[in-house]
Amino acid sequence: MKRGLATLVVVLLAAHLLSGCANRATARVDPSANLATLKTLHVVKIPEETAGISTLIADKLRTKGYSVTTSTSKESDADALVTYIDRWMWDITMYLLELTITFREPKSDFALASGNSMHASLTRKSPAEMVDEVIDNIFKEAEK
Amino acid sequence: MRSLSRWLVLCLALLVVAGLSGCASSANRQAMTPGDLATTKKFPYSVAVRTAGGSETGAMDSSNISDQDLQAAIEEAITQNKLFQRVVQGKDGDYELSVTIVHLDKPIFGGAFTVDMEASWALVKVSDRSIVMRKSIKSSHTATFGDALAAVTRLRLAVEGAARKNIEQGLKDIAALSL
Repeated sequence: MKRGLATLVVVLLAAHLLSGCANRATARVDPSANLATLKTLHVVKIPEETAGISTLIADKLRTKGYSVTTSTSKESDADALVTYIDRWMWDITMYLLELTITFREPKSDFALASGNSMHASLTRKSPAEMVDEVIDNIFKEAEK
Repeated sequence: MRSLSRWLVLCLALLVVAGLSGCASSANRQAMTPGDLATTKKFPYSVAVRTAGGSETGAMDSSNISDQDLQAAIEEAITQNKLFQRVVQGKDGDYELSVTIVHLDKPIFGGAFTVDMEASWALVKVSDRSIVMRKSIKSSHTATFGDALAAVTRLRLAVEGAARKNIEQGLKDIAALSL
């Protein structure tokens, strides 16, 4: 019976490890969008978010030369809204599993550009590194 | 006897692993194609459809929507409903429809699986590159135990349902235009 339990543990561990190395990093820019024309951006903070993702995004965008504001409201005079979806997971500690950042046209909510990164437990990155990766990938895609 | 119980535990473990992670299949193009759009609008123009933002379904992944399948489902719906005179490939159409999956939110565990999808729809008139429509369309679909007992199947059904509703709404919005 002990051997059986050991087998069970080995199989479950293998499944855990296999799923723990899943990674993804994608970005796309709508053909009708031109990010170079944007000067001001407004990051729409998720009201209940406490991990500081909106601040990280705003800081990263400022390093790229944009004038950035942040609030929980979508009302803004900015050239584009920046929204995000963060997905967290627990594995010994909490970590940011997946982050999607989207640049939107303020009036229509149309997604001008979007990037997504997913790093499972074994290749986990800090929230700041995830924000860097997603935003850098969006701008790399815009340059193509 | 010990050997038998060991094998039983092994089989149980493999079943658990399969149930949790295995055998996902990509969303089916036929299942993503909406039926009757309830519109009599028929534009006397041709349209080219291009899709982006989708991804293939990997061995350790859950059901995804591939760009090719999404494009085929949209083209099929346009043809079935005769929304445009014809669907063309490449850049020879009167209009160009770009549909990009912005977000596909899928649950990892649960009984009833709800999938949320957002896609950006852009319709461009090819002759002068004017943007006729730019919209972000959000859709959602829930698949329950009544739809499928296997989790991987239930999740695929939820993904297909969300895509089908998204395509239906997108084409209805286009039908409401005056081209």
